[in-house]
Amino acid sequence: MANIPIWNGTSTFYPGDTPFGFYDNDYEFQQDADKVAKFCASRLGYPISEIELQSGSFYTAFEEAVTVYGNELYAYKVRDNMLSFEGLSTGSALNNSIITPTMDSIVRMSEQYGEEAGVGGNVDYNLGFITLESGIQDYDLADWAVSQSITGGIEIKRVFYQEAPAIDELYSPYAGLGAGFGFDAQAAALGSIGLGYGPGLNFLLMPLSYDMQTIQAIEMSNQVRQANYSFQLINNKLRLFPIPTDADVADGGYRQYLWFEYINKEDRTNSAITDGATKVTNESNVPFNNPTYSSINSVGRSWVFEYTLALSKEMLGNIRNKYSTVPIPGAEVQLNGADLVAQGQTSKEALITRLREYFDSTSRQALLERRQAESAARQSEIGQVPMQIYIG
Amino acid sequence: MALFGSNRDISLFRHVNRELMGNVISQQCVFYKHNLGKTEVNMYGEATEGRFFHNPVLLYTLVERQDQSYQESDLGINFAWNITFKFLRDDLVDADVVPEVGDIIMYQEGYYEVDSTNSNQFFVGKNPDYPFTDDNGNNPLNPGLEGFGYNVSIICNTHYVPADKLNITRERL
Repeated sequence: MANIPIWNGTSTFYPGDTPFGFYDNDYEFQQDADKVAKFCASRLGYPISEIELQSGSFYTAFEEAVTVYGNELYAYKVRDNMLSFEGLSTGSALNNSIITPTMDSIVRMSEQYGEEAGVGGNVDYNLGFITLESGIQDYDLADWAVSQSITGGIEIKRVFYQEAPAIDELYSPYAGLGAGFGFDAQAAALGSIGLGYGPGLNFLLMPLSYDMQTIQAIEMSNQVRQANYSFQLINNKLRLFPIPTDADVADGGYRQYLWFEYINKEDRTNSAITDGATKVTNESNVPFNNPTYSSINSVGRSWVFEYTLALSKEMLGNIRNKYSTVPIPGAEVQLNGADLVAQGQTSKEALITRLREYFDSTSRQALLERRQAESAARQSEIGQVPMQIYIG
Repeated sequence: MALFGSNRDISLFRHVNRELMGNVISQQCVFYKHNLGKTEVNMYGEATEGRFFHNPVLLYTLVERQDQSYQESDLGINFAWNITFKFLRDDLVDADVVPEVGDIIMYQEGYYEVDSTNSNQFFVGKNPDYPFTDDNGNNPLNPGLEGFGYNVSIICNTHYVPADKLNITRERL
């Protein structure tokens, strides 16, 4: 007649009595284990009623409660600091580290915008060119990419196709003939404003505003009176305005080549991934270990005790609930297993909620908000002090 | 291997039963086992010299009482009270008592003779005493079956017996 012993009111904890042994060698855990077992048994009704649990059951619940406490604690720390943890070395545990927020992740996240704006980022800009042909207006840059053995496609970021800078015409020793395009514009522009001077040949000391106005006049003249140098880029198909002429594309001509900047699309896709070996890449490898039980303060231990009780209650309920009825001589009885399970689960949820609210109320954001509120309240309070009237 | 009603489960039932019968309900009776060795019978099987019993055993029990009845006959009025005593079989095993017809149970200063016994309350329908094992001690279809099931109770149906018809004198209980 096998008789499985149940809780008899006393226990003696030895290292190895818990399933995982996370805290078995912690002296204070050893001391508290038996006290917690007694506490839970008493709260469950012992010695008025029998408790169909063993000391090992209570130790198991106790170990789980400490672990859950640590999980909640460090999960909160991760939540609060993940931006600072990401990319951190996983080498040493952070349990006892003071965490100072950094901008590293923010900057890393912002690189994508820099890349799109062409002011930084993490994707290389490449330079390419095509040779323009007289009378050819359309050029397929996707074909060019294929011809350059670029896989995955390219995205054109910038096309260097515009008229000569107006300043080139302003200071031309040939009074607008230097670049071959400026003469008419210059003469017309300057003539239109009636100055009668060559734009770059004026040796009088003139205010800078004069030069600026002259440059703007040349630019506007080029745009309005001449064919404006422009292009249209749709799906990497480039259409140039005006159509290149023989003079444009002559050997050594000003527009023999058309240069452009582009990125390889694969580079942008690949820029999302950085090798994270030995680094924190997600919540699962933030280097937090199980907590040190002896370092948990009385507030935390109180929670652990209550959670151990909830687990014990659930465990006892499951034991009593395996069979809905238990046979007794000539009859059957129903045990309170279902009630115990429900109570245990409700208690667990309430405890977890309470702990999370407690942690959340001490998050960096919450603390700063509270400090801000305190500061505002303090200033308001001080503002109630009557102002003195100074009579000079 | 069977899944339900293992020794561990039965141990839980035993704890629950003993807590219920011992601490909650707490009904007790005294069981007098007939001592056939000392009781002499005549050629008709009658114990003319009186009946002898083994030492009494105090047991927890669940008592199911019927109403007392008073039957009139030519000899006067008879008192009758039939009671059913339900024992946890494990308690009887521990006490080394096997209830049989003719045994006496003392309850509330009255004596009740066992008329019949029933032992057919089996959890999950299995009596572990009959596991159908082969020569190697294994059930050929379901090895380990002897560790499953539970013979819960022995129920004794009794009737009231006047004390002067028994050789029982209360000394210590």
